[in-house]
Amino acid sequence: MHILQNLPIRQKLMLIALLTTGGALVMAGAALIYFDVTRFRAEMTEDLGALTEIVANNCTAALAFRDDEAAAETLRALRARQDIVSAAVYDGGGRLVASYGEKGDAFLPAEARAADGHTEPGGLGVFRPVVLKGERIGTVYLRGSRDELMGRIRVHGLTVGVVFLASGLASLLLASGLQRIVSQPILDLSETARAVSERQSYALRATKAGADEMGDLVDAFNSMLEQIQERDSALLKAKGELERRVEERTLELAQRNDELAQSNKELDDFAYIASHDLKEPLRGIHNYSSFLLEDYAGKLDAEGRSKLETLMRLTRRMETLIDSLLHYSRLGRVDLAIDRVDLNEIVAEVLDSLAITLKQEETEVRIPRPLPTVRCDRARVGEIFSNLVVNAMRYNDKPRKWIEIGVIDGEELPVFYVRDNGIGISEKHHDAVFRIFKRLHGRDKFGGGTGAGLTIVKKIVERHQGRIWLESSPGEGTTFFFTLREET
Amino acid sequence: MAVLRRLPALLLFAAALATAPAASRAQVAGEYDIKAAFLYNFTKFVEWPPTAFFDEHSALNLCVLGEDPFGRSLPEVLGEEAAGRKLVLLRIGKIADPTVCHVLFISRSERRRLPQILAAVRMFPVLTVGDTPGFLDQGGIVNFTLEGSKVRFEISQAAAERTGLRISSKLLRLATRVAEEGRPGA
Repeated sequence: MHILQNLPIRQKLMLIALLTTGGALVMAGAALIYFDVTRFRAEMTEDLGALTEIVANNCTAALAFRDDEAAAETLRALRARQDIVSAAVYDGGGRLVASYGEKGDAFLPAEARAADGHTEPGGLGVFRPVVLKGERIGTVYLRGSRDELMGRIRVHGLTVGVVFLASGLASLLLASGLQRIVSQPILDLSETARAVSERQSYALRATKAGADEMGDLVDAFNSMLEQIQERDSALLKAKGELERRVEERTLELAQRNDELAQSNKELDDFAYIASHDLKEPLRGIHNYSSFLLEDYAGKLDAEGRSKLETLMRLTRRMETLIDSLLHYSRLGRVDLAIDRVDLNEIVAEVLDSLAITLKQEETEVRIPRPLPTVRCDRARVGEIFSNLVVNAMRYNDKPRKWIEIGVIDGEELPVFYVRDNGIGISEKHHDAVFRIFKRLHGRDKFGGGTGAGLTIVKKIVERHQGRIWLESSPGEGTTFFFTLREET
Repeated sequence: MAVLRRLPALLLFAAALATAPAASRAQVAGEYDIKAAFLYNFTKFVEWPPTAFFDEHSALNLCVLGEDPFGRSLPEVLGEEAAGRKLVLLRIGKIADPTVCHVLFISRSERRRLPQILAAVRMFPVLTVGDTPGFLDQGGIVNFTLEGSKVRFEISQAAAERTGLRISSKLLRLATRVAEEGRPGA
C-alpha cells in the first residue's frame, strides 16, 4: 500500500477502476467457468452413465453364457463414440472379461467391485452393475474422454481472457475520462495552492467545479485565502508605516549623532587649546618662583621659602592636571593604531615597568590563565592595564596585597578583569569613579593621583567599542571588568 | 446400438474357458457343470406365456428326462429364484403330463425316443433342451454343442415361436446357429 500511496490521484483512480472491474470480471468468469464445467461434467457423467447402462444390458447374455468374445464385440461398438477412452466388462467374480481402449488402473478387478453407479472422484469413469433378472452377474466400466471438458475449459478461459482484456481496455478508456471528474478539481486546487505559495499572491482564487465535498473544500480554501489576503495587506501597511517611522528616527538619530560628534570635537579642541594655552603662563609662574627662591634666598626667611616651595609644588600639580586633560582630550582626537596584539606581552610590559613599585608595595600579581590575542591599539590597552594595576595597588590597605589579571568568557566578547583585595568602592560611587578629576579620598591619602586615570581608561575602552564596569565589596576588594571589540 | 446388428452369428474360439482350468483346480468347470449353469441361465432369457403357470406363485419346473448327466452340479443352481419364481428340479423317466415341465432337458440316453418326446410337448410352452446333434431338426428348441472344449448352443427360433415361447434376442445373438421360421436349420 505504501507504494500506492505515492501514486498521483489520477493513477490511483484508474488503478481502482481497473482493479475493481478486473477483479469482478475474473470472479464472474471463474464462477461461470466453474458452473459451466460442473454442469457439463454432470451432463457428461449422466450421458456416460446411460451409455454404460446400455452396454451393461447388452452384456447380460454374454456374461451369463461366458461368451467373452461377445462381450468384447459389444465393447468394440464403442469405437463409434470418440468420447469414450476405455471400457471394461467384469464377471460376477471380478474377472476382467473384455476390455476396450487404453489399459490402465481402471481395469483392476478391485475397481470392478466398486459401488454400483460409482463415479471416479477425479475422472469421468462410471461403473454399472450387470444385472440379470435381479441377480448381479458382472460389472461394466466406461471411462469418458476429458478432452472435450478440457477443450471447453480452454475455450471458456480464452473467452474470459479476451473479455477481460477488452473490458480492461474499455474501463481504462472510461476511467481515464471519468477520473477527471474527481481528480481535476483536486489538481486545480493543488495547482492554485502551489501558485499562491510560490508567488505569494493571495489574490488568486480556486475555481469551484461542483457542489460536492470538493466544492466545499474549494470554498473553505478561498475564504482562507481571503483572510490571508486581508491580513497580508494589513501587515504590508503596518510594515510600511513602521519602515517610515524607523527611517525618520534613524535620520533624527544620525543628525543628533553628528551634532554630538561635532560638539564633542569642539569640546576636545577646546580642552586641548585651553590646556595648551594654560601651560604657558603656568610655566612662567613656576620659573619665576624658582628664580625668586634662588636669587633671593638670602632675603627670604624660612616661612617665605616654604610658601614659595608650596607655590612651586602647586604649579607642578597644576601642570600634571593640565597634562592629564591634554592627554584625555587627545584620546578623543587621534586615531587608534589597531593591530593584532598579544595581551600577555602587554601585561608583561606593564608589570615590568611597575616592578619596583610592586616590590615596594609588596603586591603579588596573579595571572591564572594566559590572555588571548586581540586586535586593539597596543599602547592604549597597555595604558588600561597600567592604570588599573596602579589603582589596585594604590587603594589597598591590606598587609598581603594581591592583584589578579584574567579573562572570562562573556556572552559575545571575552571579558578582561583586574581584581584586587583592596579597600573596595561603595556602590553609590561606582559611576563617580569614572568622572574626570573626581577623587574619593584626600589628595595625599593612598599616594595621591590626578583623578584622571579611570576616566582615561573608560575613554580608551569606549574608543575600542567596549564597555567597562566594576563589582566591589567595600573593605574586601574591587574587580574592574572591560571588553574590547576586535574590529574597531 | 450399431454393434448389436453387426454381432456375428458365429462366435469362434474364446480363450477364457480354455485357459481357465489351468488357472485353478477349484475353478475347473466340467462340460456338464457349464451346461447346468447354461440350463439355468436359459430361464432368464426366455419368456413363458402366462398360461404356462397355474398362478404367479407357481414354481418354474426344470425337468431332466432320462439319464442325469449333471451329477451334483445341477442341484447347485436349484432353489434360486428366477424372475420371481422358484426353480424346481424334476428328474423324470417319461412325459406323463406335458404341462408340468417348463424346461425339459432331454438326455442323450433318450435320443432314440426323441421324435416321440418332442411330439408330446410340441404344442406346449416347454423349452426343450437337447444334448444331441440334429436335435433342432427333429423339432427341439435349444441344443448344446461343443466348439473344441467350449460349450455353445444353437436355437430354433421357429420351434420356440410355435410353442408361444419368446426367446430374448440377446440369447439368440450368442447362439452358434439360429434356425428361423420356414428355414429350419438355416
